[in-house]
Amino acid sequence: MVKKRNPLRTVVFYVLVVSLVLFVFYPFAWMISVSFRYDTDAFKEGFFQKFTLDQYAQLLGFKESIRQELSEEEKQLLTLVKNMPEEQQKQVLAKIERDRKKEQFPFLRFFRNSLLLAGIAAFTSLVLAIFGAYSFSRIRYPGRTFLQRSILVVYLFGGAVLAVPLYQIFVGMGLTRTAFSSVVVLFIIYVLNTLPVSLYMLGNYFRTIPYSIEEAAIIDGCTRTQAILKIVIPLSMPALITVFIYSFMIAWNEYLFASIFIRPFPTAYTLPVGLNELFYSEHAVWSKMMAASVLTAVPVVVLFMLMEKYLTSGLTVGGVKE
Amino acid sequence: MAGTLQRREAIFGWRLIAPTVIIIALLILYPVVYNIYLSFFQVSLNPEVPNRFVGFSNYGKILSDGEFWRSFGITVAFTLITVGGSLLLGLGVAVMMNRNFVGRNLVRALLLLPYVTPLISIVFAWRYIFLPIDGPLVQALSSVGIMDSGTDIINNPNNAFLVVSFFNVWRNFPFVYLMLLSALQSIPAVLYEAAEIDGATRWKQFTNITLPELYFVIASVALLRGIWNFYKFDEVYLLSKFAGTMPVYIYETAFTGVPQQGVAASIATLLFVVMMGLITLYVKKVLKW
Repeated sequence: MVKKRNPLRTVVFYVLVVSLVLFVFYPFAWMISVSFRYDTDAFKEGFFQKFTLDQYAQLLGFKESIRQELSEEEKQLLTLVKNMPEEQQKQVLAKIERDRKKEQFPFLRFFRNSLLLAGIAAFTSLVLAIFGAYSFSRIRYPGRTFLQRSILVVYLFGGAVLAVPLYQIFVGMGLTRTAFSSVVVLFIIYVLNTLPVSLYMLGNYFRTIPYSIEEAAIIDGCTRTQAILKIVIPLSMPALITVFIYSFMIAWNEYLFASIFIRPFPTAYTLPVGLNELFYSEHAVWSKMMAASVLTAVPVVVLFMLMEKYLTSGLTVGGVKE
Repeated sequence: MAGTLQRREAIFGWRLIAPTVIIIALLILYPVVYNIYLSFFQVSLNPEVPNRFVGFSNYGKILSDGEFWRSFGITVAFTLITVGGSLLLGLGVAVMMNRNFVGRNLVRALLLLPYVTPLISIVFAWRYIFLPIDGPLVQALSSVGIMDSGTDIINNPNNAFLVVSFFNVWRNFPFVYLMLLSALQSIPAVLYEAAEIDGATRWKQFTNITLPELYFVIASVALLRGIWNFYKFDEVYLLSKFAGTMPVYIYETAFTGVPQQGVAASIATLLFVVMMGLITLYVKKVLKW
């Protein structure tokens, strides 16, 4: 069917598309612009300012941040210190060292913590979900439908309702005393958070794989477990990667439980908690915060863009728990 | 023989799903019940000191607290605004993206950015554009006379929840748009062709074909977004500590200042009960299950 194109309509349409893109991209544009500025230019009017990679270099540790370099006063102190008695010398040096530590911007540490925690949690959730979803989609047994439904009920609970009881439970178990055990708690919570979505998405995918392939393998003497490992897993690689990325994103973003459980342990801070704490401390340096934001976003956005086709269909088929 | 094989299958099936069921039962269903239990206690912060049973006094305390009712009202308004806003925007965008045009693939990829970018990154960008005096969006708005450039709209308790609602619509409309787009694409083209032959205008086609065909999807997406936004904590709290929705109120009661976790548990219980009631009503009346 051929439709007549009204030129005015087309113009209006493209104006709408352009304004939509502007609406969506506006905050990103500023984030990127400010991240390439010197600290002193952070609030200069106008989109384009003097370009620098300093903020990135400092965050990634290629370059000492200004705050890590010694202040003039400290340099003078260092020369003076040589004439002091030994006891006093130690004190002054320790003080300088303390101040420098306080002023570091431990972006790489937050990044590493987030990467490890989100990666391991997403992987664990994926493994549990593969077996669970296989059980749901392939094996008949009493209680299956009930289990499937009750796992979806999890959608009805928000973190806000679970925060207090979970905190009380883990305090009662004594798991909130050290940084390591608190991270383990977070790991358990993230697996829990991502499992229902993973199960649901994988279950839907497994149902699209023809059962006859596995059947043939089982007739040839494969066990069920071998069938999962050698047939189902290789055949559903795109779905597995999709589910992994979703779980990873949920854990990478999580703030509520991270702030409850690891607030007392700065060495264990993940990106959301760490960056937010830094923002409210003396380090609220806008250019650096923006560079940190870009660096936090890049891995996730790149993953998403690479896998866009699978991920968008996963999103509409499975629905994603937030 | 068939009986034992079936039994073996069933056992295998249960073994595969058992770890998941145990984790979910222990860490979701049990806490929900434990939360109700805690709401009747004054929860002590010292593990050595036992909790003190106080009956309904936590409930009495919050129900007579003006702060609680204010926060309840804000949450309802926040949920209605964000669900309505993201549905309208998502529907409009889905209709636009259902058409072929130059650069559609690029635009589609860009449209997902608000939804997939890590929250903490994008929150800083929003705080920057909304900064009083220096923020570019504040400057732009004040130059056309919409607002005074000196106002700090994010940290003002009176209107922070509007900024937070706006941000939530911006962040979540891509989810709505994706769900609606895939539903749009499954509407048979013959329906539109028949309508065209009958002389129906574009608008008539939209209200008489598109909307009824999308009814179920729109209603389901509204339910999901409604539940998620009602409980939404991070998107609200990280942008503004002054938005004052219920999850923020629970968090502040339970974990900041002098923590009153028993009181927080009773707020959470109320929130949960209200939510369950609303969901049941909605599923019956709107989704007609």
